[in-house]
Amino acid sequence: MSLRIEHITKKFDAATVLSDIDLEIRDGEFISILGPSGCGKTTLLRIIAGFLTPTSGEIKFNDRLYASNNYSVPVEKRNLGMVFQSFALWPHMTVKEHLAFPLQSQKVQQSKDVENRIIDKILAVTGLEKLANSLPGELSGGQQQRVALARAMINKPKLLLMDEPLSALDADLKLSMRQEIQNIHKITGATILYVTHDQSEALAMSNRIVVMKDGTVEQFGTPEEIYGKPQTLFVAAFVGRHNMISGKWDGKQFICKNGTAFPAVPPAECFIEKGICPLRPEELEVNRDNIGICVEIVSKQYNGREFLYTAVDADKKTYHFYAIVTMLFSAGQKIHLTKKSV
Amino acid sequence: MRKIVKDHLTKSFLYFTIFFVFLMPLLKLFFMSFSGMDGIGIENYVLLLQDNRTPEAIYNTMFIAVFSTVLSLLLGGLFAFFIAYTNIRKKRLIELMVLAPFIIPSYIIALSWSGLLDTGGVLQMSFTNLHIPVPNMYSIGGIVFVMGLCHMPIVYLSVLSTLRKISKDLEWAARTSGYTTSQTLMKINFPLAMPAFMSGGILAFLAAIDNFAIPAFLGISANIPVLSTSIYEKVISFGPSSFNMAAALSVILSIIAIGGITLQNLLIRGSSNQDSMQEDFSARIFLSEPRRRNLQWGCIVFLGSIDMVPLLHMLLTAFQKNYGMQIAIDNLSLYNFSFLANNHGVYQAIYNSAILSILTCVICIIIGTACAYAKVRYQNRAAMVLESAASLTYAIPGIVIALAMIFHWGKIPHVYGSIGILILAYSTRYLILQIKNSTTAILAIHPALEEAGKIFGANELRIWKTIVSPLLLRPILTGAFLIFISALTELSLSSMLASAGTKTVGLFIFNLQQGGDYNLSAALSVLIVLIVLLAYGIVEYLNRQKTC
Ligand SMILES: Nc1ncnc2c1ncn2[C@@H]1O[C@H](COP(=O)(O)OP(=O)(O)OP(=O)(O)O)[C@@H](O)[C@H]1O
Ligand SMILES: [Mg+2]
Repeated sequence: MSLRIEHITKKFDAATVLSDIDLEIRDGEFISILGPSGCGKTTLLRIIAGFLTPTSGEIKFNDRLYASNNYSVPVEKRNLGMVFQSFALWPHMTVKEHLAFPLQSQKVQQSKDVENRIIDKILAVTGLEKLANSLPGELSGGQQQRVALARAMINKPKLLLMDEPLSALDADLKLSMRQEIQNIHKITGATILYVTHDQSEALAMSNRIVVMKDGTVEQFGTPEEIYGKPQTLFVAAFVGRHNMISGKWDGKQFICKNGTAFPAVPPAECFIEKGICPLRPEELEVNRDNIGICVEIVSKQYNGREFLYTAVDADKKTYHFYAIVTMLFSAGQKIHLTKKSV
Repeated sequence: MRKIVKDHLTKSFLYFTIFFVFLMPLLKLFFMSFSGMDGIGIENYVLLLQDNRTPEAIYNTMFIAVFSTVLSLLLGGLFAFFIAYTNIRKKRLIELMVLAPFIIPSYIIALSWSGLLDTGGVLQMSFTNLHIPVPNMYSIGGIVFVMGLCHMPIVYLSVLSTLRKISKDLEWAARTSGYTTSQTLMKINFPLAMPAFMSGGILAFLAAIDNFAIPAFLGISANIPVLSTSIYEKVISFGPSSFNMAAALSVILSIIAIGGITLQNLLIRGSSNQDSMQEDFSARIFLSEPRRRNLQWGCIVFLGSIDMVPLLHMLLTAFQKNYGMQIAIDNLSLYNFSFLANNHGVYQAIYNSAILSILTCVICIIIGTACAYAKVRYQNRAAMVLESAASLTYAIPGIVIALAMIFHWGKIPHVYGSIGILILAYSTRYLILQIKNSTTAILAIHPALEEAGKIFGANELRIWKTIVSPLLLRPILTGAFLIFISALTELSLSSMLASAGTKTVGLFIFNLQQGGDYNLSAALSVLIVLIVLLAYGIVEYLNRQKTC
């Protein structure tokens, strides 16, 4: 039981938007698709949903062919639910009608009683009981999003697709809606494909993360793997905002350009080849004995607990690191950075 | 102190002028409808309703309006749907052909169709040979048909952008809920487009009530009375109290029109606001290649035969020496054109129409833009009152406005009988179009642009000259083009207000047609269509030049 995305390539005229995407997603997994704007996340989701057909490659769900370049199961026959970034609520229908709509499309019609019971239950789950007869125009952003979620899951789809469902909401609401989506995942057990360009969202919610760039998969793995063991420079830079320290690897030692060395766990092969040690901002610290990489402070941002500093070295390469509030630096000041010893 | 008095005087003067020009004529008409030989009373109405022709005219008016609206809705809605949603190509061409009846005057379309199907015509022959009864254009069916065609663009324009504004996500949400494409269209797109569809229908209905030209060309000789032509016939008959009768008929016609507008306003208020949505121009329904081609060429052939065939036939008849003869090479000549070229009346009419439409445009642009500016930037009360007054004179059918003008300006020397009354009538009638158009143009200019000008020390006049007018010029001129074309080919106002020396082109063609001079009227119509198309081409060309 799985969703198989086999060697999917998608071209719009001459432009290749997806090239050779190959993924196998297990039943009931929560998968985030993470990547910068324009990397093809929405396109991939639309191919899985059936709104677009792939130029080559196949989509299979539970060993049934969903799409190839000359065959496509119509969207309405794929038994999936979808949540749109724009919510896509129908302005002429009440909340209750939104929820009844997918139920009434089913080949096997339920009795009105059963239908009402299902709707009431989902209204309760999403806390929308009082708004059953409101039109979308009368709802707040968070309420609209909840209606969109409820609508997508009322038919108990095996596959739930979400395209940046939280990006239109403000920060507070985002956090509580994350919780809600995770609950939905637990209750329904559906396979969820969740598109986002917010790495904290992806890290917090998913079983596994697909990191994409320019239409290709950079890395596919658990949040811990993506965050702790990036396989490519792009993933290291995009997730966790790694500092790329240049130097040379010598077994479990990393020797910086200026000669200072520190012990570190060897990263993926491509880093070793290029002589780079990826270190997250929290893995760096200011050395009081003036040992390490010499950098000049450029700017700082206060995040409530500590300062995030941006600095450059002699080669104008940028570094990010944290320092506690009692240790203040000002722009232009020169300091030395070393890896924190754990 | 002095300034306050002066402001007060200016304000009173403004309000009085608005009242005098826009409302007084209508009030006079209203009173005229109640006054007769025996003083004030409803005598005129009673007399009218006792005459069988009045109920017949009301019935015909409603019948024609309802059924032509149904036709316009079908055609306009269908083409809007094809253009907005399907993947057919040549959309520009198809759209141009759908909109053609918008710039070609309706009496020319009526004339071309009646010519095409007239006895002795080519089509008539083939119909008879095939033993199919020939449709008669001089009938209520013919009027419904031509009117339905003429008002198809109204529905099309009203529905098209609404269809495009329905977000694809809304459709996709329905698809993932388990509905097919066609079910989605029925359950999502159709209900969402309904208000625009209804609104287009009401506009088409109002246009049908207002239309004088088509029933005048096709109905008068066939003795099919409608309200607008009855008013016209009453006025030109000069019988005892015929003006009062005409006034009473006008009140009846206006009541129908105002009823329609009230309905329209209720509809607008009830509909959900989708104005802020972006239009999505990409195709949504992908037809297979053969189907796409069939639909595309089907549209082109259909529109071509309802637009182009009658006009081409008209072009041929324009070169015919004698009407009703077979179209053959030896029967073709430039006789009709040389006759027109040597006719002083033709020159006079073209000259009058040209002057009238240019002056009307200039007056409307100046007053309309000033009014729009005062309304948008200063929330000026007088401007808002002017806008409402101008809406009223546009909503009331043209023939009624013409009669009201006669009552009002008839007693004022040097106005009635001169070109002045036509300019007044045209300007009051078309002003609202320019106010709307200028308002849109001004709203598109951010006030910050003007404020920036003020910060740099420019005075009001310089701001207008250097910032506002260059930005406004193009949208305003493009909008004024519609007024220009309407005024150039106008018939309902001029049919009643023009006198011997101030005949317009529309009236000239009407008189030729009423006199049975089909070939001459065809020749002049061809000339007018060419002028209109030329003007349209120039405007399009200039527009494209500047966007590049
Ligand atoms: N219908 C189309 N025709 C041509 N190009 C397209 C089409 N749809 C998408 N693209 C292009 O494909 C690329 C990927 O688009 P896509 O919408 O999948 O990106 P995305 O990862 O979802 O970005 P975002 O985070 O901004 O939503 C973009 O460069 C886009 O311009
Ligand atoms: Mg996207």
